[in-house]
Parts: sequence; C-alpha cells; structure tokens
Amino acid sequence: MVEIIDGRKIAAAIREELKQRTDKLKEKGVIPALAAVLVGEDPASLSYLRSIARGCEKIGMLMETAELPENITQEALERKIEGLNKNPKFHGIILQLPLPKHLDTLKAESAISPDKDIDGTNPVNIGKLLLGEETFLPSTPYGVQELLVRSGHSPEGKHVVICGRSNIVGKPLMGILVQKQKKANATVTVCHTGTKALPSITRQADILVAAMGKAKAITADMVKEGAIVIDVGVNQIEDPATGKFKLVGDVDFEAVKEKAGAITPVPGGTGPVTTAMLMANTIKAAERRNT
Amino acid sequence: MTKILDGRKISAEIRDELKQKIRSLKEKGTIPGLAGILVGEDESSSTYIRLKEKAGEEIGIYSEIVKLPENTTQEHLLKEIDRLNLDAKIHGIFIQLPLPKHIIESKALTSISPDKDVDGFHPMNVGKAWLGQEAFLPATPSGIYEILIRYGYNNFKGKNVVIVNVDNLVGKPLASIFAQEDVGANVTLCHPSTPSLSDYTRRADILVVSVNKPKFINADMVKEGVIAIDFGASYIEDPTYKMKRRLVGDIDFEGVKEKAEAITPVPGGVGPMTITMLLCNTIKAAEIMHHIQS
Repeated sequence: MVEIIDGRKIAAAIREELKQRTDKLKEKGVIPALAAVLVGEDPASLSYLRSIARGCEKIGMLMETAELPENITQEALERKIEGLNKNPKFHGIILQLPLPKHLDTLKAESAISPDKDIDGTNPVNIGKLLLGEETFLPSTPYGVQELLVRSGHSPEGKHVVICGRSNIVGKPLMGILVQKQKKANATVTVCHTGTKALPSITRQADILVAAMGKAKAITADMVKEGAIVIDVGVNQIEDPATGKFKLVGDVDFEAVKEKAGAITPVPGGTGPVTTAMLMANTIKAAERRNT
Repeated sequence: MTKILDGRKISAEIRDELKQKIRSLKEKGTIPGLAGILVGEDESSSTYIRLKEKAGEEIGIYSEIVKLPENTTQEHLLKEIDRLNLDAKIHGIFIQLPLPKHIIESKALTSISPDKDVDGFHPMNVGKAWLGQEAFLPATPSGIYEILIRYGYNNFKGKNVVIVNVDNLVGKPLASIFAQEDVGANVTLCHPSTPSLSDYTRRADILVVSVNKPKFINADMVKEGVIAIDFGASYIEDPTYKMKRRLVGDIDFEGVKEKAEAITPVPGGVGPMTITMLLCNTIKAAEIMHHIQS
C-alpha cells in the first residue's frame, strides 16, 4: 500500500514545536514578527499570504502585510524594504512574487537585509546555502527536506532527481540535499525537463521531486516502483465534469500512487510545510537576535 | 580517434588573447592589478602563489604578493584585505588557501569585496552564479567549461553531466554552470561514496572526476563516447621518473581513452587552466571597474 505523506499533519507537528519556541521568546518580551511585502492585488498571492497569517496566528507570532500599489516604482519599493530592515519590530521579511514586470525582482530581493531574509532569496544567503554555511534556507526546498526527514524518508545516501531548476525550488534544493551534512548527503540530479530522455532519468530516482509547474507532467511510466514522490507543483485546472477550477500538482497522482512507495498529495502535501518553514525561519531570526 | 584535450595549448591560446586585452586596457590608462595574500610559509602554497604572480607578470598584469607571518591575527589579516579592497591599483584579490587554523576561512573570504573576488569564493558571487547572474566563477569549474567550449563542445542541452565531487571548489560551482537554463544539461552531483557509483558514471555523456584517488574511474565505469574530464592529482611511485614518482589523475587514462571520445590528461589537462582563469577574472574585474567593454 502506498503511503500518502500528510503535509498538514507534519506542518502541525512543526508548528507545535515552533509554538514552544515562540512562548520562550515571549517570556523574554520578544514577539517573533514577519513582514510581507505585496505589490498589487494578485488573488493567489493574497490567499497565500492569508494562509501564512493564519499559521502565524495559531502559534502566537505576528505577521503584517505591507500592501503596495501595482504601479510602485523600484525606488519606492526598495525604500519600503529598507524601512522594514531598520524596523526592530520585524525579524523576517518576505517579498511576495511575482512582481509586476516593470520591477527588478533580483534587485528588490537583494535589498532585503540578509539577517531578515528568512526566505533565503538574497544572493548572499543563496551563496551561503551552497557553501554549506549557516543561513536561512528558502522555505519551499527547506520544507521538502523536512517533509522527507519527518516522514521517515531521509535523503541520505539516496538518489534524488529534481525535475525543474527554478531559483526558488530546484536549484536551492540541489544545494541543500548534496551537502555533506545530516538530513542531506544525497546524490542529486537536476534535469532539463524539455528532453525526451527525461523518463529514463526520473525512473532512476529513489526520491523524485516534481517542480516544473506543469499539471500531470509526471506520469506513472516515469516513476520507479517504490519511489518516494514529492510534488511541489501547484496548478489550477478546470475540472471537465463540473467546470470548476481545482488545484493539482505536477504529478499524475492517481496513476503514480499505484507505483510509488510514498507520495505527497496536492493540496495538503508540501504547501503547508513551506508555510511552517517560513515561520520557523522567522523564529530563528528572532532567536538569533535575542541570545 | 580519441581527442586528447590539451589544457596547456588552450591555456596558451587564452593567455595570448589576454595579452591583447591588456594592451587595449593600457591604451585606456588601466593596468590590471592582482594581489595575492599568503599567510605562513607552507612550501607548496609559496610555490603556487609565485606561479600565479609570474603568470600575471608575463602577460602584463601588475602583481603583488602580501606575505604575512604564520601567527598573523585574524584582525590584522582583515585589515590587510580591507587595504587591498580600497587600493585602486588592485582589481583582483585572492587568498592562498589553506589559512592557518586560528583564522576563520569564511570570515577572511567574505571580507574581500565581491567586485575584487577573482577566486569567486565570496557568498555573493557563489549566490549570483547559482542564480545565473553575472559573477566571478572559481578557476577550476570555469577552466573545465572553457576547455570543453574551445574544443567545440558547446551544446549541452539534455546531455548527462555527471560530477564526482561535491566540494565548494569543484563540484558545486561546476553544477552551477551546467544547471543553468540556457546551458540545459542534466546534472548529477555524486559523492565519491555514492552507492553503485558506476551506475551514474556509465550514464555520463560528460564525466568530471575530482577525488584524488589514482585509477578511481576505469574503462568499465564509462560508456562508449564519453567526454572524460580528470581533475585529480596524486603521486604514484615510478622508478623511471627522476623523482621516482609521477603525477596521475583519477581516471585510468590508458583504459578509458580507448572508449572516450575525448579525455583530459594529467598532467596537462585541467591543471594548466586554473591559473589562466584567475588571470581572466582579474582582467574582467578591471574591465568592469573601468566600464570597458571587452
């Protein structure tokens, strides 16, 4: 029987630990606080930020969102970030992506102080990640690592194949899992998703991570019997039966679950753990400043 | 016929091009300057840093070695780095590693201004390279990439690049080159201890090995037509050599050569490229600093 890895349950267990750490900080008079920067009014972004806010609330953390107009200039955005860098109330800052096209994402991300960059997007923090130094790991790949370890599927000594090489998932995940450290030490392949050879590579995976942003791109024939399948994809598709939109991952769940040893569902897989890791990093930032 | 990828030849070719670039920089009033910092008197470090100095001078780079005693404090080292960061004659700074144990290496490396970090070890450069941004790349991975390109191997779309090494100097930065969207390779990073390693190496279209173990990779472990890159360095006894020993790589050269499409020898493969790439970065730094298009 395939094991369905319950991301919500794992996230709840992480939040329980985080609540204890938050309580300790509160005894010292510190409330861990996260500031989110949102440009424009993208509904998906709004709903994502609301889910983070709910998580923060559950454990007694503070979260505030700075809602900025769609037509904000680069300078004004960076000034806003600079203000949050200097504001002692906040321990962590996230910049919600995507930004409108007229803004320079990397420049804006680089404006976040590395000490408050709890989603690990500043190039300096990415460099530290790759070098194996202490830093904030980006929440999505960090969540994938936690999900694997906490569900009893440690990547150590395993072959992890990552489909998709984005700067927020694929590449940092490779950097995290290849380190000669506990919870890592894996042999890691990142693959080019546009080639015919893709199935021959994915079939070698002990742990297969789908992060290409394409609904049902990973089919049963691409998966080795017994593999652990982690689905990072979030795609909205129209259900032909009802005409309603629903959320699906990058993995053809129903077919792949017949072959996999364990699999994460969408929703309820990696998503909730990602949010928990953002909170974990904010608390880490608060602890760093108050020890 | 197997192509022997001649690092000495490519290196000489690049240094000739660099001379041209330096001439045109000089016409514009800029002499590229490279400073190396040596702490202590380790013999091989001293030799190596002199080689870098000499190579720079030969092509017209202003070279400077800052020698500090073994017992230099971290504070003093950081002060020296800062002085060089502010020195307008110097466009590139590198620290000859390893540093004595009482100095925190990462602290020293991050003190070099990212604009002058020609070894590409500063987290800012490592991060930018990983993100696919313009950055200084470390010498070994860029040397390997350059050899491939100059021998006409410039299409890596969908190719399997397998790297046996996950270190900060070789494996990780090399993955960072090949994994970029526009390069488009499938990149696998293997540890020397990866279980069933040959399952991975046999799938490699391009195999890069750096583990410092003689004959670590034999002909059985590669596929027909592989491009094999060897960045290993070990000495084995050989009475026919003057020193009674000779330098070998990680790949069983004679055996693998029969199956490979192309292979780098040791010595004379990747090794000669590393200093050259440091010089390239120094000139690039000077060009960027003076807004000169190359």
